[in-house]
Amino acid sequence: MIKTGIPKLDDYLNGGLPTGKSLLYYCQPGVEGDVFGMQTTYINLQQGYKSVCIATASSPDVIRGKFTEFGWPLEKFENQFEIIDAYSALIGADSSEKYVVEDPENIKNLDKVITEVIEDSSGKVIIHGSISNIIDMCGEDQALEYIENWNKYIMLYDVVGIYNFTVWPYSDKTVERIKDELFNAVIRIGGVSEHVIFGQYYSVTKADWTKAMIDSSILFKVLRPGGVKAFIPKLLVTGPFNAGKSSFVQSLSTRSVSVDRMGTTVALDIGHIDHKGFSADIFGTPGQERFDPILKLLGGEAMGVFLVIDSVKGNEFERARQMLEVTRTRGLPCVIVANKQDLPDALSIEEIKRQMEISKNIPIVPAVAKEKKGVFEAFEILIDQIMVGI
Amino acid sequence: MTGYKLGINGLGDVIGDIKGGTNILLIGPPMCGKNIILNNIMFQGLSDGEFAVFITTAESGENIINWFTENKKGVEDHMDQFGVIDCVSKTLGLNVGDTQTIKRVSSPVNLTGISVGITSFFEDFWMKKEIHKARMCIDSLSTMLMYSNIQTVFRFLHVHSRRIKTADAIGIYIVESGMHDEQTIVTVKQLFDGVLEIKNEEDNLFIRALGLSPKPTKWFGYEIDGAEVIVEV
Repeated sequence: MIKTGIPKLDDYLNGGLPTGKSLLYYCQPGVEGDVFGMQTTYINLQQGYKSVCIATASSPDVIRGKFTEFGWPLEKFENQFEIIDAYSALIGADSSEKYVVEDPENIKNLDKVITEVIEDSSGKVIIHGSISNIIDMCGEDQALEYIENWNKYIMLYDVVGIYNFTVWPYSDKTVERIKDELFNAVIRIGGVSEHVIFGQYYSVTKADWTKAMIDSSILFKVLRPGGVKAFIPKLLVTGPFNAGKSSFVQSLSTRSVSVDRMGTTVALDIGHIDHKGFSADIFGTPGQERFDPILKLLGGEAMGVFLVIDSVKGNEFERARQMLEVTRTRGLPCVIVANKQDLPDALSIEEIKRQMEISKNIPIVPAVAKEKKGVFEAFEILIDQIMVGI
Repeated sequence: MTGYKLGINGLGDVIGDIKGGTNILLIGPPMCGKNIILNNIMFQGLSDGEFAVFITTAESGENIINWFTENKKGVEDHMDQFGVIDCVSKTLGLNVGDTQTIKRVSSPVNLTGISVGITSFFEDFWMKKEIHKARMCIDSLSTMLMYSNIQTVFRFLHVHSRRIKTADAIGIYIVESGMHDEQTIVTVKQLFDGVLEIKNEEDNLFIRALGLSPKPTKWFGYEIDGAEVIVEV
């Protein structure tokens, strides 16, 4: 079993991709799909696998440079990483790669090299390439016939095939075969659009070895360096006055700003977090009642809520519950952050649960925001809740 | 939404504003100033507050920007509306990275990479900068057709000409006449709503517009004077 290294995807695939299988990243044109195969490759180089990348649209140097751009330097994996150069011949350039395809537009040439690589492998090899480029060079029917054969080799030699496919308007027959027949797993990578593409997502559409979580979509961003990060556009941090919301936003965030006056938030706190493959924008509200009219605006489009409370002030729990109403976020995935647990009079989690009178499904996480205690646990719990709900 | 000004004096007055969603083929023989015509069309967009995405397969991104800064006064004020997709520098083995204005793609073969670059600029300008009028150009399709077969380029254009329509933008695409067989030109032409056609007769240059006004225009003589296009209407 290998990991894809894509946030949440291995969970959805019940642990990852078994050897002997092929996985296709099925990408809408214009969406950043190439990086998925690269990320899977690099994660597994780190696990001791060998990888062979088929270069069809970029020179080998450019491909190596692209790995570096994402923060995945290949120097220390020199003995594990090879490129099948099916590009240099297209532009009449020389190649210094071990594997060179002399005439990439003749699929028999490409086939000879790919089957040689698989036969020479002693397992633990990942083959990675773009099948749309191969189709473009060699024609639809012929390319599919050979790809089907390579997948048989992959199964026979117990290696792994990771492919990218840009869904240009090929014939329906070709697209259907690629989507439904040729690969063991298909991960759709698409764009959210209205006039222009302004968001990107991925979802599992097929995995023939497990009951995968089909069609659960995860929004993502591509960071340089960093690669694919699951992206939560908006998490709200709310709670009563002086409960420690700003401290929570600052402790959780990779970067943050606060609009405050004399130490009190008067507009909002904004932060951004990159943690364990997830990327999220965080918006913190002010807590005083005079700001209630603007809170419903801040709550709009939030995907989850941190309700921060002061563990000492049981008399403010009513206000905390009220703030879920004011921000119109009741019903969204929510985690209660029981802040200031280091103070001597802090209520226990059980006592807070009793006094808060809220659904027992809402987790309460003990925290000391100023010391970053409990903040990342709260984040991970909220992300899990959001992902289950998507 | 109002239409788009062509940006070629004289000819623009004859055809009027171009409606959003129009894809235009700019076709003519070599050495007749197609690049300068194209650059003037793109500069008109920048001057009008639109955003402009320039896909270059012939010059580096820096060369494209230099042309505008050297020849078009005031373009510096519009650089935050301008994006260039450079398919040349990496092909030449230059070790250059992206800038705020230039995104590099590994080669003209990498149509997936070009497509990602277009999406990225459109998202940035449309969503973050909230500019909702755009023009995009490819200089040139002929280079793409040298590296990839007609079916591959057709599929790419099919997707992106539709995206131009969806965004109510305009797209301009250069093709060198005489470089491709008739079948290739006929295939590519299907995707365009209008054509700016150029011919050279005994060293005299002529241009006409088809599909951009109710009737095709007549042939107008024109000259290239430095960075300007002078059409004799």
